[in-house]
Amino acid sequence: MSLNIDNLWVINIAGLEIWITETIFNTWLIMFILILIAIIARIKLKNFDEVPKGFQNIIEAIVEIFDNFAVNTLGKKLSYIAPWYFMVFVFVYSSALFSVFGIRAPTADWATTFALAFATFVLMLSMGFKHQRGEYLKSFFGPHPIFFPLNLIGELAKPISLSFRLFGNMLSGTIILTLYYGLTPLLVQFGIPALLHAFFDVIVGAIQTYIFVIISLMYIRNAAE
Amino acid sequence: MHSIVALSAKALPEGRVFGLDTQTLVSIGIQLFNGIILALVLSFILYKPVKEFMQKRTDRIQGKLDTADSTMAKAKELIAEYDSKIRNIEQERMKILEAARIEAAEESKKIIEEAKVEAQEIKRRTRESISEDKERLKEETRLYIIELSSLIAEKYISRNIDDEIQDKLFEEAIAELEDAQWQN
Repeated sequence: MSLNIDNLWVINIAGLEIWITETIFNTWLIMFILILIAIIARIKLKNFDEVPKGFQNIIEAIVEIFDNFAVNTLGKKLSYIAPWYFMVFVFVYSSALFSVFGIRAPTADWATTFALAFATFVLMLSMGFKHQRGEYLKSFFGPHPIFFPLNLIGELAKPISLSFRLFGNMLSGTIILTLYYGLTPLLVQFGIPALLHAFFDVIVGAIQTYIFVIISLMYIRNAAE
Repeated sequence: MHSIVALSAKALPEGRVFGLDTQTLVSIGIQLFNGIILALVLSFILYKPVKEFMQKRTDRIQGKLDTADSTMAKAKELIAEYDSKIRNIEQERMKILEAARIEAAEESKKIIEEAKVEAQEIKRRTRESISEDKERLKEETRLYIIELSSLIAEKYISRNIDDEIQDKLFEEAIAELEDAQWQN
């Protein structure tokens, strides 16, 4: 395990060099597993019982808890964007959980967190203009037009802060665990790291996922109202 | 001829933790694209179908609850109706009993009256019959006495008097006897 995000392949597309990084590969891996689970759930959905149990219970709980959370945070009016954040929620937390198995979390790469934060920024602007129209633009000039630069910077800072918060937190876990594995003798590399993984990957991962999603939803809701 | 997509033959660039360059922008673009693909797949394969399934189940259960509520309401109405009927039946029963009692009393009175009338009639008829029998017996007795007196007198007269005296005595005896009878 190294601190660096390794490059696995370099491909040229029409003269443009593209690095296929460990992050991108791990993202595809996580995507593949999540899609596989989704396909299995979709196949099993036909035989889902009236009273859920086992696998059905887990799937229903994930969807229902997230849907209630998204609808309560966004309101009914904006609930149609919930599927995007369902993906963000599942992907970010899966990334953290897969770290337990030594797979470097894609969210420990700023490119990933910024991509997600940028999507939030785009959604925030589009929801603001869609639901508030001119009022949203006017809010950039309030309470006085002189504040426009500050308001603009404030808005632009949102995806930056959002992406760096998640990136920093996930990277910190990766750094601490890398240091632990690199600096300790082999004897203490069994058992104890499980606690560190449980804390940095499972607990911090869950907290950071929640924070990222709820802040994103709040930005969008504030822009739309 | 070079293909559009090709693996670079150059050595792999060294990894890094963070950078702000074209490759980062490319990575951001790829990750955004990955995110969109994953969101579409998860939404259409998992999120929406599961939500739909749960919504249908909620509607079904709500429907069942509504049906149960309406059935319960109907049952309560029926119970109230039957309670009211039971209460009315009690009143009805009391009314019927009261009417039957009155009818029975009237019937009894009527029967007694009729019995009384009949008894009176029987009594009257009996009295008439007795009276007739009495008259008949009187007549029979009178005739018997006459016959007997006549026989006695005949025997006596035949032994003691002649025919003239006999006839006279006979006539006198008859006259006396008749007077005595009528006076009784």
